[in-house]
Amino acid sequence: MTTLDNRVSSRPIPNPSKSLITKLNAGTGLVVGIIFALGTYYLLNNNSSDDATVNFQHYNRTLLASMLMWSVGFLVGIGAFIGPWRWLIGKDLTAEEQLYLAGDGQGIKRYFKYCTDHKVVGIQYLVGVITMLAVGGTMAMMIRTNLAMPGGHFITASVYNSLVGLHGITMIIAMIIVATGPFGNFIMPIMIGAADMAFPRLNALSWWVLFTAIPVLCSAWFLGGIPTGWTAYAPLSIQAGPGMNAFLATIIIFAFSTAVAGANITATVVAMRAKGMSWNRVPIFVIGATISVALAVPAFPTFMLAMIQTALDRTFMTSFFDANFGGSGWLYAHLFWIMGHPEVYVILIPGVAILMEIVPVFVRKPLFSYTSAIVGFAGIAGLSVLVWAHHMYMSGWMPMLNGPFMVTTEMISIPTGLIFLVILGTLWNGKPWLKMPMLCVYAFLWNMLVGGITGLYLSDVPADNYLHGSMYVTAHFHYTLMGSALTGAVAGLVYWFPKMTGRMFNERSSYVAFWFIQLGFQVLYLGMFTAGAEGQPRRVVDYADTFHVSNMVSTIGAYGVGIGFIVLLWGVVHSWRHGIIAPMNPWGAKTLEWTVPYPVPLVNFDTPPVVTSDPYGYGKAVK
Amino acid sequence: MSSDTKFHVHHDAPEVIGRRERLGVRLLIVADGSFVFGMIFTYFYLRNLNANNGWIPKGGHHFSAASGWMSIYPLLLAAIVFKIAQRNPKTVGNLTVISLLAYAYGFYYQIHQIANMPFIVKDTGAFEGSYASTWVLMAGANVFHYFLAAFIALGIVIRARRADVDPALEKWRMRTAASWFTWIAISGVSVALTTSFI
Repeated sequence: MTTLDNRVSSRPIPNPSKSLITKLNAGTGLVVGIIFALGTYYLLNNNSSDDATVNFQHYNRTLLASMLMWSVGFLVGIGAFIGPWRWLIGKDLTAEEQLYLAGDGQGIKRYFKYCTDHKVVGIQYLVGVITMLAVGGTMAMMIRTNLAMPGGHFITASVYNSLVGLHGITMIIAMIIVATGPFGNFIMPIMIGAADMAFPRLNALSWWVLFTAIPVLCSAWFLGGIPTGWTAYAPLSIQAGPGMNAFLATIIIFAFSTAVAGANITATVVAMRAKGMSWNRVPIFVIGATISVALAVPAFPTFMLAMIQTALDRTFMTSFFDANFGGSGWLYAHLFWIMGHPEVYVILIPGVAILMEIVPVFVRKPLFSYTSAIVGFAGIAGLSVLVWAHHMYMSGWMPMLNGPFMVTTEMISIPTGLIFLVILGTLWNGKPWLKMPMLCVYAFLWNMLVGGITGLYLSDVPADNYLHGSMYVTAHFHYTLMGSALTGAVAGLVYWFPKMTGRMFNERSSYVAFWFIQLGFQVLYLGMFTAGAEGQPRRVVDYADTFHVSNMVSTIGAYGVGIGFIVLLWGVVHSWRHGIIAPMNPWGAKTLEWTVPYPVPLVNFDTPPVVTSDPYGYGKAVK
Repeated sequence: MSSDTKFHVHHDAPEVIGRRERLGVRLLIVADGSFVFGMIFTYFYLRNLNANNGWIPKGGHHFSAASGWMSIYPLLLAAIVFKIAQRNPKTVGNLTVISLLAYAYGFYYQIHQIANMPFIVKDTGAFEGSYASTWVLMAGANVFHYFLAAFIALGIVIRARRADVDPALEKWRMRTAASWFTWIAISGVSVALTTSFI
């Protein structure tokens, strides 16, 4: 089953160069995917009813089925089902075929194939995430440009609506995979001394399934957009136009990808750690990433369920969410937020864990109270499934439960405080090496402080009565997700760039990007906090004159952030192509990934490593 | 990026591979369990809310409480037979045929039940109420479970007849498959129990 599994068929070994496996790639996937999608469309699109409602349902059914079949077709075309098929007929993949699937000797072509090498998958995720962030960020710039002045006519109201929804869901997906995708796949197996992931073929599957969701989501733009915002509340989403089908198909595909990736990463960490790597010697990033994906495994299926129910309401006239026929909009809110709130921590925890990985390296001190860090992460994950209804304070659902949900929500500040203390304790009396990843740690401390404190007001029922649905909420969650998790991911990019590309990240561009992003960020969202506190609702295309100054300030800040990310992107491209060749361990870190050369060998380690000490043995603090 | 260096084959013991695969399947069962829990939550939520008396509208139809159990007998039979089959590697291929047939029959029966459900409004094609909606969703999940189980059982039957598979690893894969079969039986019972409360 794994790349390293030599216990395969003993039948005569066929020449892999003649095997079907060698003929398949993203191009064949594309062709078969389009054939499946078009075939489904023409097969189902035969309705000629005079009833507009029936036509609407039928069209939705046809579109949704075509989108899902595109995904299936692509996977058939790229060879994702060869493994299961060969298992079914009892002809397991030979060692040579497994080696071919791992991308052995295929150079750049392996990035366009169903490659099982975790490092290839990590790079695929990295490029995918950067692309999604760039697209989502461009949408954000369009939104802010329109909001610079009251009565802005940069874009029309319907386009604005679509942009808000598309920006939201694109960024949410990108942020969920921003740390566990590239670093969880490329770096984490090496960090624990494993030769590969537990299930290499599932690893490739999780990436390519996600990849098929990208064109589906893009198609929403041409089908009238997503006018509901990323939360897609029912019954709005039931009544929305055909673009909504793209949203539903994207989430169904994405939730499948996430469940597969979550099971794979968790199994890898539990079952494939190097000899001697007991649980108290596991690097904190690995702990954070594992808790995050383990949280995602049970959380995302409820999200998928809500989307399937919405799809059934739209296409088969069921009534999960239509109160006229026994359904309930509250049900959607429950299912959505039972996933939706843990999802915030699925995003946040790995980003913070990256920063906790970085601090000891750049301060040359052991991580302060490693156990508290784990308790902090576990506490956040545990409490995150008990707070969902704080998103429903004002919905009218069970007002008597507002109090308990307020308490559980505010309790999350306790494990979050532990995380803060661990970072502060590690910094204490240290002499930090102020490289860009370390600057991100300081930025995180400020951003998370602001995000956390402003969150307390939203968790408080009376304050939320005034603030909910306002720009204040938008600013708050951007402080936690972008200011904390994305800052962690950017730090991770610069920190692990030498191991992933063999080159050092251009230092000047990293500093310029950092200051533009972080200063712009403060201007952008402090302006937005002001607008929200003054009463400006979120998701509106226009606003009263009284909010002009704070919106203008926000837009100026947004352009600062935009410039910062363009510089960062330039830094990535330039450093990858022309950067200084990196030494094996440029930061003098003690975790296992820095013990392997670049390019990293296919099975990572020539001889399996044996761990004899904890990963942060930097001695005592220098006084 | 990885290099194109020569491949080193590590010799992972069947126990190591087997335990790893079983853990992966159990994690996927957690994901599937969350989905099933969500469906059961939906059922009781809408049943107890009964918005606008729309759970089963006046004059509406519903299946009997026993019909949910009818569709899961094959699941239980298949899981029990497979447990027995596991005990003797020599008979596993033949006994798993019974499990395979049970899954195939369950798949057919569930599709047949969906095709003949009584609560579709003839003029519009709409479902009569939220009971009908939740019922069809659960039946759909059963179909998915039956399909996947039939695929796995078919693979086991075919592989049991081939001499060139590693018997030690196959034994572990049987245990992994048994985890899935047991889970879908539990899931089926939970759904049947749920739909008993009409």
